[in-house]
Amino acid sequence: MTQRNGTASGREPGQGAGPVAVTGLGVVTPAGADERAFWAGLRAGRSVARRREELAGIPVDFACAVDDLDVDAAVGGRSVWRMARFVKLALIAARQAVADAGLDPAAWEPGRVGVVLGVGVGGVSVLVDGALKLREQGPQSVSPLLVPMMIPNAAAGEVAIALKAQGPSLAPVTACASGATAIALGRDLLIGGQCDVVVAGGAESVLTPLVVTAFARMGALSTRLDDPASASRPFAADRDGFVLGEGAAMVVLEREADARARGRAPRALLAGAGASTDAYHPTAPEPHGRGAQAAVEAALRDAGWSAYDVQHVNAHGTSTQLNDAMEATLIERVYPHRPPVTAPKGVVGHTLGAAGAIEAVATVLTLEHGVIPPVANLDAPAVEFELDCVTKECRRQRVETAISHSFGFGGHNVALAFCRA
Amino acid sequence: MSEIHPRINEVLTETFKVPAAEIVPEATMDSLEMDSLAVAEFAVIIKETLGIDTDSDTLLKGATLAEITAFLDDAAVSVGR
Repeated sequence: MTQRNGTASGREPGQGAGPVAVTGLGVVTPAGADERAFWAGLRAGRSVARRREELAGIPVDFACAVDDLDVDAAVGGRSVWRMARFVKLALIAARQAVADAGLDPAAWEPGRVGVVLGVGVGGVSVLVDGALKLREQGPQSVSPLLVPMMIPNAAAGEVAIALKAQGPSLAPVTACASGATAIALGRDLLIGGQCDVVVAGGAESVLTPLVVTAFARMGALSTRLDDPASASRPFAADRDGFVLGEGAAMVVLEREADARARGRAPRALLAGAGASTDAYHPTAPEPHGRGAQAAVEAALRDAGWSAYDVQHVNAHGTSTQLNDAMEATLIERVYPHRPPVTAPKGVVGHTLGAAGAIEAVATVLTLEHGVIPPVANLDAPAVEFELDCVTKECRRQRVETAISHSFGFGGHNVALAFCRA
Repeated sequence: MSEIHPRINEVLTETFKVPAAEIVPEATMDSLEMDSLAVAEFAVIIKETLGIDTDSDTLLKGATLAEITAFLDDAAVSVGR
């Protein structure tokens, strides 16, 4: 029960089918539009939710947006007109990650580079604008680019164009687990030998009145209209829903041996990944977290770890009653040694398809820096939760191994197991 | 100088990020790196802002900006602008 490294499978971490290294990080989030700013924002532990002019008059008028960046200027070139915002955010994050990995797209073998870019919804604002124009002004007002701009795989396609990545490209859609699913699939492409480099992550931008209204009507969003910055409070007793966010995060994955052969030290290792499906309800998680547990256990097996090897959990932690209750139950049961827990959605809100990737980046940064950021707006977890949530300020602690949870509407569960390189 | 000319410049520079220095009378959509989809989108914007129907094929077939402007000027007169 308490065995450490070297588990039932007899494998050391990351030995499943050859360790996969994370060699580059890129993040564009409401808390900061690059790694340094994002990490500073997470460490500060303050929600960046605020009221949005474009949401005025709808049931929830606040969200977490990427404001500190001239997105079109950051994308540059002449093609911004044909990109929906989620595509632009993805492209900026992808370029950051590739630069961080010290790779030059002009020099790599294009057919060996893959792109896996998870998106939950896609270019819904493009669709809405087109629908309104069709109705009000007729067919000639509809952009000929509507379909290629709105499809969720537009981000994978544009990133592949920009990076000249001609290996397999995929756009997994597993709702709020999409970014994590993408990273897991990226690892598969490396282990299976289809790629030598994979740029993987997630992106989302749906802060439109229609989508915010729809989430609000579903009862998923916090309605703390008088104090948006206090609205996202994962694992708090008085949590009342999530705060919608937007953003993107991408990582560069390579086989560890390849990275080291080109003189690049990994920033972390992706030791394992696991996925499962609740097959229970379209939106509600299976309340006991049995489905989610299967994903965690699969990731542990893949990494060759026991649950007791996990020193930190980067939780999905949405600040909804249902998710956080399920996830607390899951964490208590699966990790009885009470590893410290954080939940970045307190700061950046719920970025849907980007969330799993943003949280993967946060997890890697925790491993590198030995710092676990606090959960925003949390003084203490709800009394019924036996969790060691990091609250109020960062916890300095060397962390060798960590798991990041991601769960999505549809019952999708993903767990990513990272360890220090 | 018609009102059309500055409007075309604005669409090309702001939406399609064409450097202003490239927008000269003899430029063509091709020389401005405007592919067929970009030209089709350009036509939608012209329709939306000036109320003028354009045939994007015409614009693509080597017409210069001077010729396109002249065409739009004529069309603007005929739609009563």
